[in-house]
Amino acid sequence: MSSRVCKHCGSSDIDVDQARGDAVCMGCGSVLEDNIIVSEVEFVETGGGGSLAVGQFVSSEGGLKNPTFGDGHFSGMGSESRAQTLQRAKQHINTLGHQLQMNQHCLDTAFNFYKMALNKSLTRGRKSDHIMAACIYLVCRTEGTPHMLLDLSDILQVNVYVLGKTFIALAKELCINAPAIDPCLYIPRFTQMLEFGEKSREVSMTALRLVQRMKRDWMHTGRRPSGLCGAALLVAARLHDFCRTTKEIVNVVKVCESTLRKRLTEFEDTPTSQLTIEEFMRVDLDGECDPPCFTAGLRKKKDQQLKLELQKKIGDFEDEIQEFKDEIDAELESCRPKLRGVYAAYTKKDVFSDDDSSSSSKEEPNEGDELHAVAKHFGRELEELTLEALIKLEGGELEEENQEENVPKRKGPSLASILGRMSSSSSLGLSETFSHSVGDDVENDGTADSGELDLSGIDDSEINLYLLSDKEVQIKTALWMAENADYLKAQKEKEAKIQKEKELGIYKEKKPRRPSKKHAAIRASTADEAIEKMLEQKKISTKINYDVLKDLVVKPGSSPAGVGESPKMEPPAPRTPACTRRPAPTRTPLSLSKPLNTLGKRLQPFISRQPKKKLAVEQTEAPPPPAATAEAPPSAVVVESGPVLYDDVDEEEDEEEETCVSAMELLGGDGYGCDGDYDDGY
Amino acid sequence: MDSNNDEALDIIVTNVVATFRTRCHLNLRKIALEGTNVIYKPEVGKVLMKLRKPKITASIWSSGKIICTGATSEEEAKLGARRLARCLQKLGFKVRFSAFRVVNVLAVCSMPFAVHLVDFTKNNRPIASYEPELHPAATYRIKNLKATVQVFSTGSLTVTGMLLSHDHTHTHLPSLPSFIYS
Repeated sequence: MSSRVCKHCGSSDIDVDQARGDAVCMGCGSVLEDNIIVSEVEFVETGGGGSLAVGQFVSSEGGLKNPTFGDGHFSGMGSESRAQTLQRAKQHINTLGHQLQMNQHCLDTAFNFYKMALNKSLTRGRKSDHIMAACIYLVCRTEGTPHMLLDLSDILQVNVYVLGKTFIALAKELCINAPAIDPCLYIPRFTQMLEFGEKSREVSMTALRLVQRMKRDWMHTGRRPSGLCGAALLVAARLHDFCRTTKEIVNVVKVCESTLRKRLTEFEDTPTSQLTIEEFMRVDLDGECDPPCFTAGLRKKKDQQLKLELQKKIGDFEDEIQEFKDEIDAELESCRPKLRGVYAAYTKKDVFSDDDSSSSSKEEPNEGDELHAVAKHFGRELEELTLEALIKLEGGELEEENQEENVPKRKGPSLASILGRMSSSSSLGLSETFSHSVGDDVENDGTADSGELDLSGIDDSEINLYLLSDKEVQIKTALWMAENADYLKAQKEKEAKIQKEKELGIYKEKKPRRPSKKHAAIRASTADEAIEKMLEQKKISTKINYDVLKDLVVKPGSSPAGVGESPKMEPPAPRTPACTRRPAPTRTPLSLSKPLNTLGKRLQPFISRQPKKKLAVEQTEAPPPPAATAEAPPSAVVVESGPVLYDDVDEEEDEEEETCVSAMELLGGDGYGCDGDYDDGY
Repeated sequence: MDSNNDEALDIIVTNVVATFRTRCHLNLRKIALEGTNVIYKPEVGKVLMKLRKPKITASIWSSGKIICTGATSEEEAKLGARRLARCLQKLGFKVRFSAFRVVNVLAVCSMPFAVHLVDFTKNNRPIASYEPELHPAATYRIKNLKATVQVFSTGSLTVTGMLLSHDHTHTHLPSLPSFIYS
């Protein structure tokens, strides 16, 4: 600070007058500082009579960018938006936290988590609500508060699994290991909600012991902790003569009744359940049980094995029964009147009710049930059910059935067709229709990525099964149209709307958003080459006539350019030593006679770069400019200027103000005759 | 948890997902109306077609991309895909079978012992994650194989994500015991 020692006389006796804003040296009397800037808070009066402090808040992180003074509104205040985001987040987190009755310390930690997430840009693409909920839940887990993810999802009305996903992603990215949930944590909370009055303490103690016992018996792995708590609390309440119904517990614990019941039965299976209350409180059994799913799995395996054995035995019996079946079928066939024509297809139908259904053939019981259902539908006894009776009852004509199809779609399938189909599939056996397809080999040829379809191992006849015949297609079309009428209507309306808009000419076609093209990195040996290439790739401004520019490059050493060079030399030359970076901004190939500082700011960097490019080109192909000396300064100018700093607009602006010479004048007057608008008559 | 490494752990591949392209535009409505075993979902814009043998469900889009799921092995998946393409060919589309690629293979395996998930997760901290509130299994992601293993407390495991079914058997078996007993 110069106010400490005077520059002229070296005395350190400096008088600083705040009122006048001066710093004066007492030794030699020279004024060292004038109009001292004070850092005091100023107040202004507001309309209502109150006073407001003048100024704005600048965030501590805002110092990353260079402060932009005049053109702050162009670049957009990035740092302020960050501050806004943080402020909003803090508010939301506090609201959420107060709804959950969390203390301020936890909420502050949650806010810190949010800041970390923001810095790692984990908030992008996710709803802010989700992120905040995840932060809060993370705090809950690390602190061990009895808050469940379900509570958060209740408040936000968001699916709990969505929140869970966000939470897991957040915890992974922030490398925070949330400790596993202990059901014991939830017990005090639920006890309070169940209102046990004075005995709450004892009830919760009992419940705690129960939960610990459950943990040792491996009931808690893979289960929701709230479910376990619910079961434990139910038992504990009953033990202490509180009759809490399952409904009440379900309301508090937020699990389903069947879950509670399941947990209770599982607990019942453990040996601990056999103890009396006093024994339970005193003794802790040493043995541990396997997890219930494990035992269930083992049991299932055993059952399956038993089944297999039984199957084998039954298989033997089946053969015998089959013989009987065939005999009975033959008898029935001979008794029944023969049907002709359309109904010939149904001659295969058997009324299975005669046969004994004790066989273990799986299709039989199913069919028996269906026949029963059919009979009930017609209010008849099963024995009276014959095909003829059905036909009479139906009263309608039966459609021709295509027996080849296995599961064709039908219009309002008539009962006979259902039963007929049943018979075909069961009497022939599903296996039969597949028998010819079983003959296919499972081939696996070499990859034919040429696009040709390798037909080996594909049986055409089977493929034909997958296609419907014409008549069936018609039926299906009718069915489909009927079913999807709403959707089709909506589509038609949409089409009509688009047509109307097209006529009116306001229809905007929605183009699929193409991903933004990423330009390849430009490789160039000199700055000029780089600029050339960049200009080829990217159009910077719509206000520039590129054709004119291209002409400039092509035209070698045209006189205006040549002439323009010499007057150009004088202004830049003296300036070059002063400023290392000198793009000579006033030179412009544009035919604009307007002074540069009146042009849009965006043009200035572009304009400044152009002359360099022009120079380089001209130097390579053009005849030497009139002044040999002109060679050295332009090359010196070009070389010294080095890489153009595109972002730095300020310096250029300053230079413009200094010279305030029009481009046209520097170039030698004659415009390129491009834009008459800009012809200011220079 | 007893360590019984002698018994061979059999890994069964239960699902193979594959995609391929027909290189031609498909009219979904035609397929829906003329094929059997099809479900047409116009809102989403696809047709689900189920084949019986091999048991495969295919999602068909109008652009010609088809996803086949439900096969039990890669060969089966390829066969099913070819069958499907043949079926579409018969319907009248100029189908070419190209870019067949197996996208995902799912396998299950069962351990003879139960796993204590909480301890397991604690020992394998950053790789394993367990959220009892959300899913009963602990998820363990093997990065270099790009596979995800879900470990249930009963000892059964599901492995997803590997692209070749024999990868499962060869790479998975040795690595499993190591990280469970750690």
